[in-house]
Amino acid sequence: MKVVVHLLRRHWLWPAAIVAALLLPFAFFDWAHGHHSGFVLVLLSQIGLMTIFALSYNMLMGQSGLLSFGHASLFGLGSYCAAHAMNAVKAGTFWLPTELIPLVGGLGGLGFGILLGYLATKQRATAFAMITMGMGELIAACALMFKGFFGGEDGITTDRVLGTSILGVSYSAPWQVYCLVVAWTAIATLLMRLQTQTPLGRMANATRDNFERAQFVGYDPRMVRFRQFAASGFFAGIAGGLYALVYQIVTFDTMSADTSAAALLAAYIGGSGSFYGPILGTILVVLLQSGVSLLSNAWMLYVGALFVIMVMFAPGGLAGLISRHEPIRRIGRLRALLIPYLRLLFPGFITVAGTVILVELTSFATIGSAEGQHLQIGARSIDPANGMPWLTGAVVLVVGGVWLRREARNFGVRWNMLIEDAKTKWTRP
Amino acid sequence: MDQAVNHAAPNHPAIVLRGVRKQFGRTEIIRGVDLMIPKGERHALIGPNGAGKTTLFNLVSGRFSVTSGSIALNGQSTAGLAPHHINRMGLSRSFQITSIFPRMTVFENIRCGLLWARGYGYSSWRLLTSGRAIDRETDAVLEKLNLAARRHVLAGLLTYAEQRALEIGITIAGGAEIILLDEPTAGMSRAETDAMVTLIRSISAGKTLLMVEHDMGVVFELADRITVLVYGEVVASDTPGHIRANPAVQNAYLGTGDN
Repeated sequence: MKVVVHLLRRHWLWPAAIVAALLLPFAFFDWAHGHHSGFVLVLLSQIGLMTIFALSYNMLMGQSGLLSFGHASLFGLGSYCAAHAMNAVKAGTFWLPTELIPLVGGLGGLGFGILLGYLATKQRATAFAMITMGMGELIAACALMFKGFFGGEDGITTDRVLGTSILGVSYSAPWQVYCLVVAWTAIATLLMRLQTQTPLGRMANATRDNFERAQFVGYDPRMVRFRQFAASGFFAGIAGGLYALVYQIVTFDTMSADTSAAALLAAYIGGSGSFYGPILGTILVVLLQSGVSLLSNAWMLYVGALFVIMVMFAPGGLAGLISRHEPIRRIGRLRALLIPYLRLLFPGFITVAGTVILVELTSFATIGSAEGQHLQIGARSIDPANGMPWLTGAVVLVVGGVWLRREARNFGVRWNMLIEDAKTKWTRP
Repeated sequence: MDQAVNHAAPNHPAIVLRGVRKQFGRTEIIRGVDLMIPKGERHALIGPNGAGKTTLFNLVSGRFSVTSGSIALNGQSTAGLAPHHINRMGLSRSFQITSIFPRMTVFENIRCGLLWARGYGYSSWRLLTSGRAIDRETDAVLEKLNLAARRHVLAGLLTYAEQRALEIGITIAGGAEIILLDEPTAGMSRAETDAMVTLIRSISAGKTLLMVEHDMGVVFELADRITVLVYGEVVASDTPGHIRANPAVQNAYLGTGDN
C-alpha cells in the first residue's frame, strides 16, 4: 500500500494521462443520439498509435543518434503481420485473443527489425540514414510485387470482430477499440521508458554521444545500434498492429516515406532530446494532419512551416521549450512571464492570420479553382481573383509581423532578466 | 575475464611489442618498436612532437591495426581484435583530446565505464534502478575523482580539468589491469597537475600503467621506467635516473630546452 502511494506521488502523471485519455471522447459525446463521435475516436486512436510509433522512432533518433528514413517499413510490416493474423484467427486457423493482436505486429516488427537492422546498423550517421532510406523504398516497392502478403494496391482488408476477446468485448464499436489503443499505448510507453534505464538504453545514449569511447569501455557500438534498432522495430510493430485493428485495412501507404516522415516530424517537433517530447509532437502533428487537412488544402504547408520554425528557433522541440522555463520555475518567477506571453499572443495571432489569409488565397487560386471550390468566410464568398483580399492579407501580415517583432524584443529582455536572476540565485555555494 | 587471463598466464609481461611498424600511406610513423612492460610497472612514453607516441597508443589499444609486427597483452596476441575486444582483455585507455559522453551526467559517464566490466552486457531487461552495487561502486569512483558534488551535472558542462578527471575516471572505473593514459595533464595548471599526479598514483597502484606525458616533472615523479621515442624508434628505455643521464636522450629530446 505504502509503495503504491509512493509510486502514485512520484508518477501521478501516468494515471492522470490514462484517465484523461479515457475521458476525452466524452467531451465530444453526442448525448442527443447517445453515441460517441466516430471521427474523434479514430482521431484519438490515431494519436495513440502514432505516439507509440514516434516514441519507437525516437529510440533511434533521440536516444541513439540514428536518423532513420525508413522506420515506416517496420510499422507497416508489423501492421501486415497483424492483419494476416487477424484473418487467420477469423478463419479459425489458430486462436488468439483480440487483445494480443498488437503483439503479433510487435513480433513482426521485431523480426523485420532484426533483418533490416542487421544490414543498416553496420553503418552509422549519414550512411545509416541512406541505407534506411533505400530499404524503405525497396520494401515499399516489394508491396506491389508480392501480392500474396501485401495485397497489391488494394492492401489487406481484415475484420477486427474476431469473437476471441478474453474480456468478452466485441470490438465492433470504435470506443472499444479506442480503449484497447489506450491500454497498449500506456504499456508500450511504459516499456520504452523503462528501456531507457537498462544497460542497452544507457549505452545507446553513450554511443550516440561518443561511439569511439563506448568501444573503449568494452561495448561494440554496432551491437548497441543493432539491438536498439530491433527493439525499436518491436514497438513500431505494436503501433502497426493497432493500426490494423483501428482501420481494418492495411495498404502500402503504411510503409511509405510519408509515414516515416510523420514519425520524424513528431519526434523532432516534440523534442527528441526528451523521452516524452515525441508524445507532444505526435498530438500536434496528428491534429494538423487529420484536423487541419479537413479545413485546408494547404495543410502540408503549415506542417512544413511549423517544422522549419521549430528547427530554427527551438531545436529542442516543444519539450525543450518547456524545460527552458525550468530555472525560472525554480526561483518561483514563472508568473512574471504571464503578461509578456499574453502580449505576444495578440500580435502572434495577427501574424498567423495574415499568413493564413495569403496561403489560403494562393491555394484557392491554384488547387481550389482547379477543383471548383470557393473560398468562403461565413456567408461571404471571396474571390481570389480580386485584389482586395490579397491586400488585406498582406497588410494584416505586415502589421502583425512588425508588432510581433517589437513584442518579441520586449519579451527577450524580460526573459534574459529572469534567467540572469535565476543564475545568480542558483550558483553553487 | 581479465583476472582469468592473469591466472592462466602469470609469467607473461603486461604489454609486449615486437617489431611493430605502422605506415599511413607511404609515411612510416612507427618504425620497428620493441617494448616490454612487466606487470605492475608505471611506464612513461616520452618524445618530441610527432615522434609517434599517440600512434603507438592507438596501436596498443586497437584503434589502429599494425602494418607489421605483433602486440601481446598478458601473452595474448591482439592481432585483428577490435578495441572493445581488447578492452575486455583488461586494457583501458584515455584520450589526449577529452573523450567523454557529453550529454550524459557525470554519474552516468562513470557507470558506463563499469557496465561491461560488471557483466551487464547488452541487457535490455535488467533495470538499472538506483541502489544497486554498481551505483555504489560508481559513487566510490566519483569520490576518488573529487567529482561527487558534480554527479548530476551533464559531463559537457564540466570545467576542463574536471573533464580530464572524468576521462581518467571512465578509463579506470571498470578496474582494468592495464591502463593507458594519453597526456593526462595536458593544458592543466600547476595545482591541477599536482592533483592529477596524486590521482594517477592512487588509481594505478598495483596495475600496469603506460602513459604519454610532456610534463617532465610528472614523468620523473611517477614513472618506474621511461621509454624515449624519436621519429618512430625507441632511442632508450630505462629507469628515470639512467634516462636523465643518457646523452642520446639529452641530445634528442631533453636538450631541446623543453624542460
